[in-house]
Amino acid sequence: MTTVAPEQTEQAQETWAGQNVPRKEDRRLVQGQGVFVDDVKRHGMGYLHFVRSPYAHAHITSIDVSAAEEHPGVYGTLTGEEVAALTDPFFQLASVPGANVKDYALAVGKVRYVGEPIVAVVAETREAARDASELVEVEYEPLDAITDARHAQDDGVPTIHEDAGGNLMWHGTYEWGDLDAAFAEADKIVKIDELHFHRFNSTPLECDGALVEYNRGMGQWTITTNNQFPGFAIIMMGPAMKVGLDKLRFVTQDIGGGFGNKITSHPQLVACCLLARKLNRPVQWTEWRTDFHLSMSHGNERWFHETEVAVKSDGTLLGFRTKALDDAGAYLRYEPLGGVIWAQVTPGMYKWKNIRVDFTQVATNKAPVSPNRGYSRMQHLWFTERMIDIVAHELDLDPVEIRKRNYVRVEDMPYTTPNGCVYDSGDYARMLDIALELIDYPNIAERRSEAATRGKLLGVGVGSTLDSGTNNFGQSRMINPELQFSGNNEVATVKLDIFGEIVVTLGTTPQGQGHETTASQVVADILKCSVDDVFVRAGHDSYWNSHAGFSGTYASQFAVTGLSAVKGATEMLRDEIFKLAGAVFGGVPAEALELADGGIRIKESPEAFLPFMACGAIINANNAGLPEDLGVTLNCRYVYRPPFEVPDVEKKYGNLTLTYATQIHAAVIEIDPETGYYDIVDYAAVDDCGKRINPQIVEGQVMGATAQAIGAAVHEIFEYDEDGNLLTPNFYDYHVPHALDMPPLKTGSVESPSPFTPLGTKGMGEGGGAGIHAICAAVQDATGVLVTNSHNSYQRVWHLLKERA
Amino acid sequence: MLLREVAYARPSSLAQALEILAADDGARALAGGQTLINVMKARAGSPDTLVDLSALDDLKGIELGSDGTLEIGAMTTYTEIMASSEARARPILGDVCAQIADVQVRNRGTIGGNVCTSDPTNHLPPLLAALGAQFTIAGGGSERTVSSDDFFLGVYLTAVGTGELLTKITIPAGRNDGFAAVTLGVEGTCIASAAASLNGSTRIALGCVDAVPVVLTPSSPDTDAVRQAVRDATMEPPSDVHASSEYRRHLVEVLAVRAVDQARGAA
Amino acid sequence: MSVTTERSITVTINGTTYEREVEARKLLIHFIRDDLDLTGSHIGCDTGNCGACSLIVDGTLVKSCMMLAVQADGATIESVEGLAEGDELNKLQRAFREHHALQCGYCTPGMLMSATALLRSNPHPSDDEIKKALQGNICRCTGYWNIFEAVKAAAE
Repeated sequence: MTTVAPEQTEQAQETWAGQNVPRKEDRRLVQGQGVFVDDVKRHGMGYLHFVRSPYAHAHITSIDVSAAEEHPGVYGTLTGEEVAALTDPFFQLASVPGANVKDYALAVGKVRYVGEPIVAVVAETREAARDASELVEVEYEPLDAITDARHAQDDGVPTIHEDAGGNLMWHGTYEWGDLDAAFAEADKIVKIDELHFHRFNSTPLECDGALVEYNRGMGQWTITTNNQFPGFAIIMMGPAMKVGLDKLRFVTQDIGGGFGNKITSHPQLVACCLLARKLNRPVQWTEWRTDFHLSMSHGNERWFHETEVAVKSDGTLLGFRTKALDDAGAYLRYEPLGGVIWAQVTPGMYKWKNIRVDFTQVATNKAPVSPNRGYSRMQHLWFTERMIDIVAHELDLDPVEIRKRNYVRVEDMPYTTPNGCVYDSGDYARMLDIALELIDYPNIAERRSEAATRGKLLGVGVGSTLDSGTNNFGQSRMINPELQFSGNNEVATVKLDIFGEIVVTLGTTPQGQGHETTASQVVADILKCSVDDVFVRAGHDSYWNSHAGFSGTYASQFAVTGLSAVKGATEMLRDEIFKLAGAVFGGVPAEALELADGGIRIKESPEAFLPFMACGAIINANNAGLPEDLGVTLNCRYVYRPPFEVPDVEKKYGNLTLTYATQIHAAVIEIDPETGYYDIVDYAAVDDCGKRINPQIVEGQVMGATAQAIGAAVHEIFEYDEDGNLLTPNFYDYHVPHALDMPPLKTGSVESPSPFTPLGTKGMGEGGGAGIHAICAAVQDATGVLVTNSHNSYQRVWHLLKERA
Repeated sequence: MLLREVAYARPSSLAQALEILAADDGARALAGGQTLINVMKARAGSPDTLVDLSALDDLKGIELGSDGTLEIGAMTTYTEIMASSEARARPILGDVCAQIADVQVRNRGTIGGNVCTSDPTNHLPPLLAALGAQFTIAGGGSERTVSSDDFFLGVYLTAVGTGELLTKITIPAGRNDGFAAVTLGVEGTCIASAAASLNGSTRIALGCVDAVPVVLTPSSPDTDAVRQAVRDATMEPPSDVHASSEYRRHLVEVLAVRAVDQARGAA
Repeated sequence: MSVTTERSITVTINGTTYEREVEARKLLIHFIRDDLDLTGSHIGCDTGNCGACSLIVDGTLVKSCMMLAVQADGATIESVEGLAEGDELNKLQRAFREHHALQCGYCTPGMLMSATALLRSNPHPSDDEIKKALQGNICRCTGYWNIFEAVKAAAE
């Protein structure tokens, strides 16, 4: 592994921010002392097992749970009929027709994908629950399945949601600039009939799960779960269950990976809640791998049809138009937000001004989609990168040159896109140069010849992407003007306890991003103490009262929302410490005081020193005689709210995200033309996420996103047969990268601080699927055939080569 | 995860094992368990009784005869084969075992389990077919030996009948062997495979293209002859999510040539 | 010869001996997690692919989801909970922390057991040998690169 990154300097070590502080989380995790959801047990708990649909589309004509209920050890069952009686359908984000979809915790009357939960069985042991599930008798009347989004709206196809009146879920047209003028001005119009971004997800190693307890006296549920966005789950669950949100307490400690895939477990959580109440005992649900693949959180599959690109003969890009078709799967769990989220990166990294996207989302009889690392932007960025490489191919232009010619330049920053988004900072061309240098691009022609002597086809490709972070939820109004969401927020509390312990509480639900560590770095810099003096509570508990409506860990935002909240709360605490010390020292003004060595002192007479322990003790346990109007609690809660306006819904115009981290990846591959098999022989990932609080953690995110992109590009796909059976339902057929699959990796970094965030940080972590784009480009380069699919298995590459021959 | 209820026995002698297997139609031998336990997790198969062979020391170990013949006990693990100095007499065995799955699976998975599973994607059925291995089966108070042509009968189906056990595999002397595969990821599950052995005659076995290894005996190891033999072979390779029938058919032709080339180089 | 659906077994894990009645159908990983409350080892798949449940059983690295608990009767087992020396992380654990070889930490216990088995049999592995030794453990967060670095560092 080669790394091009700023060395730690003497100066850098004066602050904790910027240092590779080893993670606080690791001590417990390397000892097997993490607490993941399946590790939590309660006396008398019952284990839940879902009976799942073997059909992709069928009416349920009858359900008989009697044999299951009589099975030894079974505590009880729950059916869709009961769910429909006890709950309302989940609130839909979509406008009509998607708004009319009725989605419940269990299938009601009909199943719409293979793996859909139909009945839940709870028993004394996991085995008994599964045994009894096999005794549930469900009769079906099978219907034809729709698995190809391109045919979902054909005449005569079955309707998946009768309430929606067809399979169209959402449609919207986005247009900015002057398309007619752009196309009139073009020297060349490049047409691309069809591009296809495939269905996959990041498959966190831990699947979903929950332990749900019902407190009958309080009418309240405690939901210990690995859901990564409790703020979203709770607004879905509360209204459906017809209870106030405080009746749903969410608790999490460690989460075994999320990548967006753990946002939409709310239907299963509702089933657990209903059963905990019905059976009057804690209910534990662990999703196994095959369950997860069948039913949870596939990434959005997207088609781009009738794409036209207006381009000058010198490669200047003027504009494009396309028809995007998005496959939502069987239910709209987070959708149709994917219908607008892509617009955060409308022009990609390029300066084209005239853009039209006609966006349609349809339902199919496949697992529901929901966010997956790079959610919706990845699909669109792949599309923009494909356009660039296809235009380069058609015009015989150098893919590197056309990028450089059209990239938004460093001097253009901050850059307002045609749809009103503001790219905060970045130097794309410089990053590309670094990436190319890392893969020894100047010598690529020689290497190509050398590979040819070994019978190999060498190809090189670039993927350049943005990781837009910190959503303005006002963009949801573009898919449904009735929605009353906008802006964003995150909460932190920082307190000084009685013995001087600094305790930080976050609203987030980290899944490996090291929040405990980076938060402590920010706190330690402000309070002039060591990171070891800062205790950051692990995980999330809504009883801590340190969350807000958008709390969670998703969409590349912690370094902005989470750390800004930590900064805000810590500065409040610091100011209170100054106030308190000023009073204790007998009216010393704040300017005369300074923090040092875990306490506060008078600058001119440092022997007048009040350790944090004394501050904590005075306020909490020894406060008689303090001035009445002191206004100090040493327990500070801060809500960070990024500066956003509500976008113009009519024009679909406005700033949709606060920061734009940047990734430029370059891949060199060698194809064995006889088999289509290829190796990645050289790979560079260059990243810019503004100020890096902990470079090692940032680099870890870059690596992880890269590995996931490589997996998705070469292997990972959720492929269905025409009957709606998932052909890759677990890790046996769904091949994720293993150790031997990993290519050599070279990394580089640039720091362009964001002018818009309190710490100069940018949200990061999702990458933008840059690896997928780079590998597609490399396959195109090596084969000389246009690559129109994001998934390029050996077989597909072999077909491409046949096409060439 | 969460198997159906099953009875379990861990006999200490082959006779005991055969007795239990003979007495119970629903009994199945549990060798390394690296396939069977997965099948049971998925509840795709649920034997009534598992007869754990792990205590049967007679079924373990590798012996090298003075004529170069290898006798490998059915319960010998891949790891043991890789580490065995005797097995180096036929280097391809250890080399291919080292490509199977991963360390953990190789530590428990056995040569007998691999062939008795008769999964078309397994490495060893085509390899042992190419090598002309003999399979010794015990049961019903007697012992018989069958060739690979008679051993592999179908997917998950072999000559080992109810109440019988594979006890050992005998591999004749030779060194000029090759194996080539296209796998799902590096050293993953085989998408297509071919094994070749050039000891005396040219013997090729193709994997993943039919229920059992497709054995070919081209007139010579020359590339053209090998390619022609594959083209002439009767097979209907399955189509699945990893490879179409057409692609598999193409791959085994390429892989057969590579396996033969490797075998030539191994001289 | 007993043919039973349940039996009494004795296992020694990280130096502690446990005797329990267990159903024959119970996988070793379920037994140690659910019956013995040793929740450090994890479950990440249901097909024996991920290695999150890796343990060292009688000196041999295995996936404990592909072994029945009854098969471990009499065995000496090592799991992640036994790696640290008291409160002190061992060399490999420290290397994982220093090299940021874990993110969510879910695969880490299994990964550590595989690396432990490797370094025991091969104290100075090459880069390729490290990759090969970890082939049976899936990590979805790190891309493995830092894990390779950590194992290499622990070997030095």
